[in-house]
Amino acid sequence: MRVVIGEDLYLLREGLVRLLTAHDFEIAAAVGTAPELTAALVEQRPDVGIVDVRMPPNNTDDGLRAALRARQQVPGLPVLVLSQYVEQLYARELLADQAGGVGYLLKDRVFNDDQFTGAIRTVAAGGTVLDPEVVNKLMIRHSRTEPVARLTAREREVLGLMAEGRTNVAIAQRLFVTEKAVSKHAASIFAKLDLAPSDDDNRRVLAVLAYLESLPGWNPYRDGR
Amino acid sequence: MADARGSGQYEVMLFALVLLLTIVFIASILAWAGNGPARPDGLRGWIRARGPGLLLLPVAMSAAVMAGGAHGLIPAELGIAFLLIVLGPKLAAKLVPFGVFGLAIFGVMLANMYHGGFTNRVQYLFVHAGPGIWGTRPVLAEAVVLFVVGLWLLLRLDARGAGLVRALGARWLGSGRRGVSGAHALLLIPVVGLVMQLLGPGNWFGIQSIDGLDAALIDLAMAMAALVLIFRSRAWAATVAAAGLLVLGTYGWLIAAFWPAVPGFSYAFSDLANSSTPSPLWTDALEGSVLLALGLWLAPRVTRHHLADLPDPELAARARQLAQRVQTLTKTRHEAVDTAAAELRRIERDLHDGAQARLVALGMSLRAAERMFASNPEAALALVTEAKETSSRALADLRDLVRGIYPPVLADRGLADAVRALALDTPLHTELDIDLPGEVERPVGAAVYFAIAEALTNAVRHSGARIVRVHLSHSGPGGPGTGTLRAEVTDDGAGGADPGRGTGLAGVERRLSTFDGILAVSSPPGGPTIVVIEVPCALSSAKTSIY
Repeated sequence: MRVVIGEDLYLLREGLVRLLTAHDFEIAAAVGTAPELTAALVEQRPDVGIVDVRMPPNNTDDGLRAALRARQQVPGLPVLVLSQYVEQLYARELLADQAGGVGYLLKDRVFNDDQFTGAIRTVAAGGTVLDPEVVNKLMIRHSRTEPVARLTAREREVLGLMAEGRTNVAIAQRLFVTEKAVSKHAASIFAKLDLAPSDDDNRRVLAVLAYLESLPGWNPYRDGR
Repeated sequence: MADARGSGQYEVMLFALVLLLTIVFIASILAWAGNGPARPDGLRGWIRARGPGLLLLPVAMSAAVMAGGAHGLIPAELGIAFLLIVLGPKLAAKLVPFGVFGLAIFGVMLANMYHGGFTNRVQYLFVHAGPGIWGTRPVLAEAVVLFVVGLWLLLRLDARGAGLVRALGARWLGSGRRGVSGAHALLLIPVVGLVMQLLGPGNWFGIQSIDGLDAALIDLAMAMAALVLIFRSRAWAATVAAAGLLVLGTYGWLIAAFWPAVPGFSYAFSDLANSSTPSPLWTDALEGSVLLALGLWLAPRVTRHHLADLPDPELAARARQLAQRVQTLTKTRHEAVDTAAAELRRIERDLHDGAQARLVALGMSLRAAERMFASNPEAALALVTEAKETSSRALADLRDLVRGIYPPVLADRGLADAVRALALDTPLHTELDIDLPGEVERPVGAAVYFAIAEALTNAVRHSGARIVRVHLSHSGPGGPGTGTLRAEVTDDGAGGADPGRGTGLAGVERRLSTFDGILAVSSPPGGPTIVVIEVPCALSSAKTSIY
């Protein structure tokens, strides 16, 4: 699996290269600035781009912008964005094109290399992976609003894990329940949220997010930006 | 009306009128010049508002009496004075000192005409129907009072009058200040001499004649007095000299002009009041000319001197503003320094108790794992796993800390997106209305961001609100580069928030005040709670990517 890495800090970049090489990823390019990153993503067409949000030249969200720009030129180009902090705002921007193949994780998640490489593969396969912290914020935000409030605690937990891009199997393992039980919860969630059930993991996550998005107050762009 | 004037009723009426006018006159000066606060709706407030115009009353009255005698015309003149007061207090204020001056001069002239034998004209002296047992003394006293008041008004008028005097002075004199020396004040000597001749003991006490020696002695005595005055205030001595020169010079010319035309007028400079051998007219004209020339030479210098001391009302107002500003800046600077110091202490404490402590634990775990690596690999592995978690927590601590110092979204995207991100993290139905065509300076942006964050936090915690609206906009009435950033956070909660109680909003307010920003909270019981934040600031052009 071919990977392009965009990370300006040398230590972290080399660390990522070493980690991914050890897990049999092929490093197509590892760059340190946003313009280089856009170029590498567009030219190399990797299976997945791993991108740090903050990069030169402006040292603001240049990495994120570079990734979004690359996705404009190569629709659906899988991108996993890493950051020292996560914002719902950025998650929404990444998901805005509904093309899938998006990941948004805290840098800490690299510590767990199995989960991290798993996330890379999910994104490369067109799936969506959101950091639990983003999902938490989503849940907190919408826990007060109907009809998310109608969900049971367990159902909310399952919904959160679904938003993190996990399959029913993974959710079952995580919650120490049977896969069938998870399916039941999922069906109940979809019913309560008026969502059509789907087998496709990515579509499932997007459906959940689209639903949350359609809730009043969710869309930050209502002011016509 | 001679018979009416002789009656006691008429005297009483005049006396009452003079008394009334004097009271009004003094009251309006006091009210106008007073520094104390006046309630705008009270009598004093009314007088202060109309004060300058009220000063016209004695002027108008005296003018009326002089022009038409103390009868019939008075109500009409009063009406005109009131009309001026009501229509144009400003205009009235500008006319007053000149009117007062004019009356003073006129009073002196009439007094002298009386001593010159024109008793029939003196009945028009101000409001006094004619010389009684006091002779012309009340008239002269009134003239002196008027003269002093006119001078005082000219030089110490408030904004309106001073503005006019200053404007006239500036046109007349040009700018710059020249000093008034003792030499200027010595010009008092001829003035004093002439004044003494005209108004002095000879006239005052009814002495029939003063010969040359007496006059010289009086001149000398008064010059000595003048010198005393000079040592006290050269400027004022010179001022009196200039005014006297102008008045006497004019008087000299008037004598030259009047004498041939008025039968029986035999009074002139070089003569004493009842001299039987008047000098030729040309001496008066010459003397008047010399005095006028001296007066015209001295007056601008004196005026310039006083103008320099005269507070420019605009400058004075500006000085007050600046003083206030310095006070505000001193206060906010202290607060800013205190806040920054407290902030640094908090960061230090957070680092010390958070990330630093965790890193120490991390090192210890790793060292322990290192030691156990050979003997007990399983335990070592568990320690490494623990170390990994500790480092995650250290990162989370640092993340929270950074958010509190300067939120990353704000650094990345600026205020508008930072507020959008804030709204997304708020567990309430949040409506945004953001109209920011550019970016604000970072420190201002951060202060406003934290203010909005605090308002949102309060809405979530205390209000029981369902919906919260955030309105963020910038208005620039002062052209490009200036304007006001305004944020409004409104929730539909229960209201009743006390902005004085929470320390959160107080801190936010202090932080805003560093930028001259304000925070206002309106939270009536039953809601809605509205938090308004306003900071004067400029907008730079919207941030654009360079690639």
